Amino acid sequence: MNNNPYLPELATVQEVITETGNIRTLRLTLDNKESMEKFTFRPGQVGQLSVFGTGESTFVINSPPTRRDYLQFSVMKAGEVTSRIHQLNAGDQVGLRAPLGNGFGFEEMKGHDILFVGGGIGMAPLRTLLLYMIDNRADYGDITVIYGARSPKDMCYTYEFEEWRAGGVNLVLTVDAEFPGWKERVGFVPTVLNEEAPSPNNRIAVVCGPPIMIKFVLFNLKELGYEDPQIITTLEKRMKCGIGICGRCNAGSKYVCLDGPVFSYDQIRAMGGEL
Amino acid sequence: MAVKIFIAADRLDSVLEKLSTKIDLWIPALLKDDKSGPTGFVQYTPGITPAFDRQTTMPLKKLLLPQEETLLRFKYQKDPEGSLKTTIALDDPKEARPTLVFGARSCDVRALVTLDRVFANGPYVDPYYVQRRKNTLFATLVCGQTDSKCFCSSVGGGPADMEGSHLRIVRLEDGYLVEALSKDAQPLLADLAEAPDKSRDQLAAKLVKEASKRQVGDLDTKDCAPAFRNRFQQNDYWASMVSQCLSCGVCTYVCPTCYCFSITDETRNLEGERLRSWDSCMFYHYTLEASGHNPRPTKLERYRNRVGHKFSYIPERYEGLLGCCGCGRCIRSCPVNIDIRQVVGNLKENSNEQ
Amino acid sequence: MLETDRNQLHKCVEEALPELDMMIGWTRCDPLQTTPVFIRDAKSISSLTLGPFCSQNLAGYLVKPPALDAPPKPDAKPIGICVKGCDSRSLVALIQEKFITRQRVRIFGIPCGGTVDWRKVARHVELGSVKSADVQDRVLVIEDSTTTHRIALEEVLSRKCLGCRHPNPVISDVLIGAEVSPRSTGMETSYRDVDELDAKPLEERLAFWQSELDRCIRCYACRNACPLCVCQDRCIVETREPRWLTQHVGVPEKFLFHFIHAMHLAGRCTGCGECERVCPMDIPVTLIKEKLNKIMEEMLGYSAGLDPEAVPPLLTFNPGETEI
Repeated sequence: MNNNPYLPELATVQEVITETGNIRTLRLTLDNKESMEKFTFRPGQVGQLSVFGTGESTFVINSPPTRRDYLQFSVMKAGEVTSRIHQLNAGDQVGLRAPLGNGFGFEEMKGHDILFVGGGIGMAPLRTLLLYMIDNRADYGDITVIYGARSPKDMCYTYEFEEWRAGGVNLVLTVDAEFPGWKERVGFVPTVLNEEAPSPNNRIAVVCGPPIMIKFVLFNLKELGYEDPQIITTLEKRMKCGIGICGRCNAGSKYVCLDGPVFSYDQIRAMGGEL
Repeated sequence: MAVKIFIAADRLDSVLEKLSTKIDLWIPALLKDDKSGPTGFVQYTPGITPAFDRQTTMPLKKLLLPQEETLLRFKYQKDPEGSLKTTIALDDPKEARPTLVFGARSCDVRALVTLDRVFANGPYVDPYYVQRRKNTLFATLVCGQTDSKCFCSSVGGGPADMEGSHLRIVRLEDGYLVEALSKDAQPLLADLAEAPDKSRDQLAAKLVKEASKRQVGDLDTKDCAPAFRNRFQQNDYWASMVSQCLSCGVCTYVCPTCYCFSITDETRNLEGERLRSWDSCMFYHYTLEASGHNPRPTKLERYRNRVGHKFSYIPERYEGLLGCCGCGRCIRSCPVNIDIRQVVGNLKENSNEQ
Repeated sequence: MLETDRNQLHKCVEEALPELDMMIGWTRCDPLQTTPVFIRDAKSISSLTLGPFCSQNLAGYLVKPPALDAPPKPDAKPIGICVKGCDSRSLVALIQEKFITRQRVRIFGIPCGGTVDWRKVARHVELGSVKSADVQDRVLVIEDSTTTHRIALEEVLSRKCLGCRHPNPVISDVLIGAEVSPRSTGMETSYRDVDELDAKPLEERLAFWQSELDRCIRCYACRNACPLCVCQDRCIVETREPRWLTQHVGVPEKFLFHFIHAMHLAGRCTGCGECERVCPMDIPVTLIKEKLNKIMEEMLGYSAGLDPEAVPPLLTFNPGETEI
């Protein structure tokens, strides 16, 4: 990044993928070739994506640092910026301030079994770490992914599930209710988690999804014997500066934009503050 | 040998005028033609009446963090093919002009310790703030007008505290004794006025000594963080303290250490700017997320956060530093007279009662 | 006199409290000022006060936190509230607009001889040094560390009080103290400040508002203190979609905000003056609403907040009408 942390770099949309009715994925490259070549980040770090005239919003870079042809962001339509992002087409220019935030502690996860639990758009932050691990498969033990969505058409990244499986991932897919043609699991994510019951021994669980899912997944993980430091999640807050200055995304004394978005559960408990 | 001058009261305007030719000069002044009306820091123009006799209504933070500021400008340019192509130009932080604030108070300047920590000494540095900060000097009044709302001594300052100041002003019966405290401030005093005579010099020294012994406020601000955490979940406590809060932004906007801001894009046709503007944690929209979720949906959570930020979060983050300079402005300007000293002071009282 | 009234208030509240959800009143927090209190516990009743320092209009708390439960639960106990004459009109307006029901409130009406504007007091004494303050026979008596100051109450009354036509509550269940006679009985005297400004040429009026509104810091205290500003967190000046106002702090933005605010109060504003009282920058924002009130009175013969049964003129539209 340049020495003015508020100044975005220009980037161009290379491809837009419609994931679901309200989620789109954008693949971007920085316009400055040299910046693009030098761009490095940790899985789980975020970027502030701007559509000039509407504003900025924070998204995790969900492509892994091991795959550098483009930077990928998945955006669920919710407010003014995300609605505007959904109107973007290949060739459009946007601004990007990245990488920001802490990212996942993938170094410490080496040698461990990994459990990913994702719901809906919550798969996006998990995807970057998952692909990183697939690309460094020998460094990690068993990788189990439990991914759920309301229905098959609410599921993101369906086009790469085969690749994930081929990469040595135990992929468990589930939807909330029966759906014609659906051959995978049916049931809420926390229930499927209990059915799978991945052993907490030497395992780290990485969880991301809607608050209600997180709540029950957490409960079940504790039942399964997972300790707080073994459970990792990402927090979301309304953000503006993205660099720990503007003051709004605090949870206790931590700034989600700067100290997060990745936190372990013991850290979250220690910080206090509103979530 | 210290550089000191004495400005006779009747010569103040002409001295300030001369000073304003050397440097951009800002002074506390009336914002309305009413001697008991609101005051703030304004750029000096000849004839302007300084308001040295009481603390300003508005703090001086706008000199370093203006209420609105352009971070960058952008312009969409249509290319001949018809598609919209973006070109973007940045307004670099303007080369800030050398500026002197003449007549700030210890609390005003002390607040900058907090702002500096946030804007200039974090992992990211705010270039807009830093540029202005290093070009601004402060001539600070030894404060003789503390009132019942002041509590600077409770937060590490004091009426004669000169931390961060470059010149010291002592108000005498018949004028002002100004002394340079740093080398870079000395040239400012050259050829402005005569050195003080011995009796005035001694009197000023005596006043400084007296002021530095004065204890302003008796709020206990030690170890607020654990007490705050203890109180965090006690909704009854926060309801009993701040139910009358109107959720307006007065306390945050008059606060010298409140710095939270928003960033918005403001456009007209195909061009616009990215604007940084003051924001307030007292506002509902401050933390409202696009999903509709709001982690601080009512004034209780919001006021709690303000107290937490100043007396728990900032100290935890920055080695005990407080986010409060004890100026009392939030107390004086609150439309419903909420007193932050009570809220903070009571954190430790019977905190296990619920 | 004040002492007797205070005792009467305490006694009435003591009797009523068991039947109330809570009691909203004022308590002294400073020699010259009060702060709103919400009393649920009999032992706090003694902190209640009344008199010329009770400047806040408490009616807003009925439709904003901490009361805020319109429409109330069927079994909810009434809320007790202290109102001055002007505050009672806000209550009536809220009842007219069905934000609260008459049964929901137990009204402790307080005839009011005017409230003290501390800014005006500051012209006479240094506020920080005030040790005690009291009003005796329409004289404000202030003690500081050295002297006793005696200031005619007239000189330090809030601007809104000078043209007050309704010092006695227009609605109440209990009246505390004796009724007082109004200072003004007609439009001629109650819109003096508006008339004075209106008499100036257009350019001068524009310059006046530009210089006054230039001081606005957009803290929204005026809006939040207004008992009739009921949109609260949905106020259009802060909505993101559509974005009506930019974050610029120039006079045009402030103009727009204050005139949106005033227009939304046309025919609803009861002239309680809270918007002006709370302004940290001392901008006479109530004047804008007074002008509209005057127009409403001249054109439609209507003053807001006097009759709970009346329908405010600008609320008479029928949503089914095809021409609106």
